[in-house]
Amino acid sequence: MQGTVKKGRGMGNELGLPVTFFLAALVMTWLSYSLPRFLPGDFITATYGASQVTLTAEQEAALRAGLGQEGGFGLYLWRLVRFDWGFSYVFQTPVSALFFSALPWTLLLMGSAHMISMAIGFVAGVEAAWRRNSPFEKGMVGGMTALEGIPEICTGVILLFVFALQLQWFPAAGAETAYGEKDFLAHVVDVGHHLALPLCTLVLAYFPGNFLLTRNSMIMVIMADYINTARAKGLPPFRIRYVHAARNALLPVVTRFGMRLAFMITGALVVEKINAYPGVGTLLYNAIAARDLPVIQAVVLMSSLIILMIFFALEWAYRIIDPRIRHAR
Amino acid sequence: MHVNALHMLRRDPWFLTGIILMFFFLMVAFLGPFLAPFSPWNMDFLPLSPPSSAHLLGVNDGGQDILSELLYAVRNTFIFGVISASTALFLGVLLGAFAGWYGGVVDLILMRLADVLLATPAIMILILVAALFRPSPHLLALILAGLMWPTIGKTIRAQTLSLKQSLHVRAARQMGGGSAYIISRHLIPEMFPLYLIGFAAKARMAMFMEASLAFLGLLDPSRKSLGMMISYALQYYYMDIWWHWLFPPIVCLSLLIMMVTFLAISLEKVVDPRLRESLPGRLS
Repeated sequence: MQGTVKKGRGMGNELGLPVTFFLAALVMTWLSYSLPRFLPGDFITATYGASQVTLTAEQEAALRAGLGQEGGFGLYLWRLVRFDWGFSYVFQTPVSALFFSALPWTLLLMGSAHMISMAIGFVAGVEAAWRRNSPFEKGMVGGMTALEGIPEICTGVILLFVFALQLQWFPAAGAETAYGEKDFLAHVVDVGHHLALPLCTLVLAYFPGNFLLTRNSMIMVIMADYINTARAKGLPPFRIRYVHAARNALLPVVTRFGMRLAFMITGALVVEKINAYPGVGTLLYNAIAARDLPVIQAVVLMSSLIILMIFFALEWAYRIIDPRIRHAR
Repeated sequence: MHVNALHMLRRDPWFLTGIILMFFFLMVAFLGPFLAPFSPWNMDFLPLSPPSSAHLLGVNDGGQDILSELLYAVRNTFIFGVISASTALFLGVLLGAFAGWYGGVVDLILMRLADVLLATPAIMILILVAALFRPSPHLLALILAGLMWPTIGKTIRAQTLSLKQSLHVRAARQMGGGSAYIISRHLIPEMFPLYLIGFAAKARMAMFMEASLAFLGLLDPSRKSLGMMISYALQYYYMDIWWHWLFPPIVCLSLLIMMVTFLAISLEKVVDPRLRESLPGRLS
């Protein structure tokens, strides 16, 4: 029973992990390559077919060549690694330029949201489990369970309403003040000011999950015998909590991270749009609104590959944190 | 489920809230079209007019009654969640039980497939498919189900492996029961409580995805949806539309997601405290 349960938790075995992620990356790339080819016609007919414009044969051929959608899967892969992802219809710029100008903002937003929600969710979870059945713990669990039920669309819009429109404490859109010539420090403050609202929305969305997971696993860990041993030795409670117990309580937070990733990515796309934050989510939204297919195709593929890499690194880290998995074989 | 579990559930405020919400939304989903005062596609009214006795939630920018839109939107999101979650549950239980029962090559292939699907970000595939082909929402729900069965499948497989060793299943085998008989008579009925959790967790994911996809403008614009209503209303954020146009869909969406979240959490607590750790499908 124990063995089967453990097996069901991780993903594949030591050797299988890279293979799994390689296959997943291959599937995503292949879908991104082949799905547009199932369209009746191609990108050109999809855009110009419904419009009043009639193209001559040369124009059509020139457009096709410019898009870089011709050729087989091998050529597609080769273009991919050369950052040659075709041209955007709307902006008439290379897709890679658009993507890499948006990516830093998304990384900043997502990265800081995860750091903050992980840190406070973890500490709050450990403290709540330690004070089990206290009013603090009960209130936190109740509040966080309720908060877990509110999706990012809703918190995002409500925060925007209260803090950007009613109180006007934070800007409602953008990532920095346009054309503002400031010194470095003022610029950092400005970016932070713009970051505050989307960041709070994401933290409010990620924090309850981190808190509940940590609390639940910490409660199981505290009941273990070695915690009693540590107590009997007369170790200070702080040391027991964070050095002895919390390391083991961290595991489910890391393992479930991958499972929750689907929610998180979806939420981040939506939050960027609500706060008009110029990241990958907004780029994708604008591309969808304008039916800018090359941009949609490249952004979807590239974000998927980045997500896969992060997920892979986490699964790897999980094996390092958990000695039981490392020594199991 | 055991009597004891039912008793525990009845005293759990989260479960009760979830059940009450579920009945409420079931009513809206079934009776919505009859309760709606107007057709949600009727564009005859004065655009952007505030709430009145004829239009309790006012009229949107396209001259459509917001209350009627809301009733249809809740129904659509609810149905999307039910279709997607039940298909994912069906696939997960069937494939998980097969993998666990037959083992060997079947297990290897199915679980490797599950691993690959677990790693691929479902939302990205949905965005690509929705942007390119504009499929019907039902088809999207089925595609989503095809992408999210592995969490259920893995749980069911692990449970099948331990049930396989249990006395009564061994006895049934000794009796001469075939694979199909044991899977349908012993394995599938015995894991019943797990299905409820899996269903609630997947319905949560599906409704969340539907709202997000609609918000991003990827679903048919003539199909009423909570995400789309929020997205349209947000374009008029500077006007006085917050209380009657923007907040109703937000509240409905939150209540829908809360319903499935509460049900999943309370069921999980009851079914088996030891399972808490081994259920990777929880709320994901």
